[in-house]
Amino acid sequence: MITVNYFGNIAEAAQSDSETLEYNTLSLAELLDLLDSKYAIGKFPFQVAVNRKIVSKQQILSLSDSDEIALLPPFAGG
Amino acid sequence: MKKVFIEGAISSEFIADSIAKHQSKHSIGAHNIFLGQVRADQVEDQKVVAIEYTAYEEMANEKLHEIRESAFEKFDLTCLHIYHSLGTVKVGEICIFVFVSSKRRKQVYEATEYLVNQVKEHVPIFGKEILDNAEHQWKVNS
Repeated sequence: MITVNYFGNIAEAAQSDSETLEYNTLSLAELLDLLDSKYAIGKFPFQVAVNRKIVSKQQILSLSDSDEIALLPPFAGG
Repeated sequence: MKKVFIEGAISSEFIADSIAKHQSKHSIGAHNIFLGQVRADQVEDQKVVAIEYTAYEEMANEKLHEIRESAFEKFDLTCLHIYHSLGTVKVGEICIFVFVSSKRRKQVYEATEYLVNQVKEHVPIFGKEILDNAEHQWKVNS
């Protein structure tokens, strides 16, 4: 299972703060395509964090069971 | 891991208390404080009345730890504290409190600026700006 956390306007679009996907393995590109087809996330600016580290959306990355993914809209702290 | 996030606005009592706690640290000769206050920005014909902050807390705490470590490496500091609100903070209330202490003055100015910039740029905190017609928009740091 892969956990995906949503924040800000992406959590609004997904109508949830987090979900678990029933995949054992999935590439980052496949995940982003899947989420775009579900929630049209392509229209938002966002960064991706894998296990709490920012990665490039273009990075060739195989996600596996127990990975924690987060879609992070622009930061607004301070 | 130091506690950074505080539910709701940061009160003036909390800030005063933080200052008082440093009176027993006699190697300190200079403090510098940055306070960020929620501003009533105009959004077309509406005004911002509050910001609701959320964060990816696990990652934010890791990032804040790295930022603290890097500040201690870059500057000659005795101690530093960063506090940020979560939840609703109304206009006029304080949402970030950065408190830097050192033997002497010069380092604390530079370190404070560095810390605030690092928090804005690298810490996953999100702000929902509530407008006076109850609609909202998502804040983006410029």
